[in-house]
Amino acid sequence: MTTYVARRLLQTVGLLFLLSVILFALVNLAPGGPLAGQGQSRHIDPEKVELLKRQFGLDKPLPTQYLIWLIGNDWMKVDIDGDGVAEGYGTRKGVLRGDFGFSFRTRKPVLEEIGGRLPNTIYLMTVTMLAAILIAIPIGILSAMRQYSAFDITVTTFSFAGQAIPEFWLGLLLILIFYAWLKNPVTGDSLLPSGGMTSVGAVGFDLGDRVVHLILPVATGGLGWIAWYSRFLRSSMLDVIHQDYLRTARAKGLPNRLVIYKHALRNALIPLITLLALDLPYIFSGAIFVEILFSWPGMGRLYYQAALQRDYPVLLAVLIIGAAFIILSNLLADLLYAYLDPRVRYDQS
Amino acid sequence: MSRISKKAMSVVGILAALSMVLAACGGGGPSAGGGDTIVIVIPEDPPSFNPAIADAGYDYLVMELVMLGLADMDPQGNVFPELAAELPTIENGGVVIDEENWTMSATWKLRQDVKWSDGTPLTADDVIFTYEAIVDPETGGWVPGIDYVDSMEKVDDYTFTVNFNTIYPGYLLLFGGEQAVIWPAHYCDASQGFISWDCGRQPLSSGPYVLQEWVNGDHMTFVRNENYFEPGKPAIETIVVRIVPDESVRKTMLINGDADLDMWTTEAVIADLQGEPNVVVEPSQTNRWVMRIFFNLAAKGTTDPEATPHPILSDVRVRRAIRMAIDVDTISEEFFLGFAQPVWTEFFREPYKCDIPRPEFDPEGAKALLESAGWTDTDGDGIRECHGCETAEEGYVMEMEFITYSDYGEPLNLTQQFIAEEMLAIGIKLNLSSVEGTVLWAYSADGGIEQSGNFDMDIWDDGYSGTDPNDYLWSYYYSEAATPDTGYNYGRWINADFDALMDEAYTLDEEYRKELFCQMAEILEDELPEAPLFTTVNADAHSVRLQGVQSSTNDIVTWNVADWTIAE
Repeated sequence: MTTYVARRLLQTVGLLFLLSVILFALVNLAPGGPLAGQGQSRHIDPEKVELLKRQFGLDKPLPTQYLIWLIGNDWMKVDIDGDGVAEGYGTRKGVLRGDFGFSFRTRKPVLEEIGGRLPNTIYLMTVTMLAAILIAIPIGILSAMRQYSAFDITVTTFSFAGQAIPEFWLGLLLILIFYAWLKNPVTGDSLLPSGGMTSVGAVGFDLGDRVVHLILPVATGGLGWIAWYSRFLRSSMLDVIHQDYLRTARAKGLPNRLVIYKHALRNALIPLITLLALDLPYIFSGAIFVEILFSWPGMGRLYYQAALQRDYPVLLAVLIIGAAFIILSNLLADLLYAYLDPRVRYDQS
Repeated sequence: MSRISKKAMSVVGILAALSMVLAACGGGGPSAGGGDTIVIVIPEDPPSFNPAIADAGYDYLVMELVMLGLADMDPQGNVFPELAAELPTIENGGVVIDEENWTMSATWKLRQDVKWSDGTPLTADDVIFTYEAIVDPETGGWVPGIDYVDSMEKVDDYTFTVNFNTIYPGYLLLFGGEQAVIWPAHYCDASQGFISWDCGRQPLSSGPYVLQEWVNGDHMTFVRNENYFEPGKPAIETIVVRIVPDESVRKTMLINGDADLDMWTTEAVIADLQGEPNVVVEPSQTNRWVMRIFFNLAAKGTTDPEATPHPILSDVRVRRAIRMAIDVDTISEEFFLGFAQPVWTEFFREPYKCDIPRPEFDPEGAKALLESAGWTDTDGDGIRECHGCETAEEGYVMEMEFITYSDYGEPLNLTQQFIAEEMLAIGIKLNLSSVEGTVLWAYSADGGIEQSGNFDMDIWDDGYSGTDPNDYLWSYYYSEAATPDTGYNYGRWINADFDALMDEAYTLDEEYRKELFCQMAEILEDELPEAPLFTTVNADAHSVRLQGVQSSTNDIVTWNVADWTIAE
């Protein structure tokens, strides 16, 4: 097992390196550039361009840019003031030493930008996933137990709807109903807030306020997952239910409740856990539509904005870190699977 | 079996526990309070408080709350002093012209009662510090007009002189207007550089408000600056700027009374807000943004109109015919919901308004003009071909690409389709495409469509802020600006008469400038390098209780925030 993990981790390093080359090229070769105008001005002024290119390091050929991105330029002389003469050492350390550069847009270090958003995304996404799991598991069990019952048919219908309804539409609808239309009968305010993580004006940690702000984004983001996980568990339960060992368990006189929870569910959960591990990267990358609709300051919005404005350093950092998360989650899924199911073995020993 | 199942349960348990822990660490709670608070909603964080860096618009918005320049411009186009005690002019001796060398100098006197929010007086040293930070070749930046400055001298603590290397009509807004402010010498760390210093994100105030808190991506809280120099102002205690990315959510918040101001309100939202009792939509008094068609006079993919003229558009009669066949009134009514005003020249507004008669909407006339230019349809497919035209080979089909930028949204997309239909009706086939602004306007090395001349016809909007059109006219119509990446003369229109007039326009003689600009207007009308069509709306929506808001095309809506009040 250790050999297997070591081999996989080594592969991960190689894969990430290859990915970084491809992503760097893709991001830079996409049409458009960070020097085009934004917002109110359609352009930036030509006088500003040369300066910006130098400050952003865009005056160098792409392979050099990649090298500086990877290993920094504090070991080489660079032309800082644009007179064509290299006079001092650069200040970039490079990704390998944990320096992802600075955002073109805000001039803040990229890791600081990500650090400001990541906790918010993890907060929202873990609650969403947790809620989805807690709701999906009983639904999945019940509809498998009562296959083709009215309950099962209803749940199946809603599941398909849940997977088909686009998040941005559902979110707007929920805002319309719970923010614009429905009022709190006591205070006369909107029943639920339109967005944000907390109320502006709230002081300190207020659990009630936090929960109120979570309801709509979690409902919007979680519906699809509830549908997906419950469908998955239903079919995995149905697989297990018809296995021989369950018949044996029943035959030896175990009560049905024990048969289901002790023998069927625990085995049916194994593939679901693998699936959950594969979905872990979402906890890092966030959900763009939910974050935009509910004004949630998370990673999805950071990435979206960086993509629109060609903020290459932020874009690359999010992509690379996201890729690392995906690769590691896959490894985790494989390992969990082997740990949970003794029939799965990755090496001969 | 039980061995597996226990593990399965424990993994679920661990995941759940992990989620709880992670869920517990969110961001800190904001603090604001009382009924004396207004909420401004904007779609994204300002990059910083320094608009000279990213030009995002939201940076201007928050900059106006905390920092001041020497002078600013009101919605009517009048320059008024902010940090300056008075505006230097020729009449009061503040401006000295050297006719012989074609240079000038301006001597400014600062108010002596302005203090930074930490109590330190604001002096000429801060102005000199700001200038030196901007022009630093290594870490500096750029603000409009800075290239015309030769040097700056301090006269005394509250007086300094700016020496220009030319006669610069826009000198009053050099360290002011919507882009530039004066930075505190004792607070900003010059070694961090103008573009990235920390004081650009944690500013020290000279303006009406102080930044109290900035939760990235969520909100910013501003409170009254107790050291603000205008007595009794600002009236509003607290301003919360909330980041709300979705337009329809911002609209709903306005209607619900949870937001007091949404800037740059679009046509569709304005239409939705009409009749809402809580909301007022404030259009600016003048218009700035002019939707216009750019004609590429060089063949698509090239940038030299002499060597490789455009096979269709290099004939001015074709350009005129295209303009004649566009029904601007219908576009305004149908797609811009009546908020677009027809214009047909760059010089449509004060102080440089020229008398150019409005062109008629005349599709039949357009057809006749195309016929006479040698473009006829002989094969009966509805599209004209060159039969005796002067700019293309015999049989060349009148088919072109017509581009716009997707960021504007539905009204512009519909306009683009409508124009294509109108062109088809007179025998010109337009193939439509829509690209992101960052692709359309990027530099040629980044694949920028306009800078590399890779287009036939485009439609998008621009216009100059304030009252001095010199830089704007230079960059759109001057011959040197046709060189890729030096300006925005995307049509590669070269005209020696226009160039001569432009060279003359660097003067402070207002009467003479008016005359020059109206001569330019005539040339542009005759040559039609671009076809201005209509202005787009510049409006801000605010709550009924918020009083004193004046939308402006000369500055961002918060330009007079110190004068705002809340009605009971």
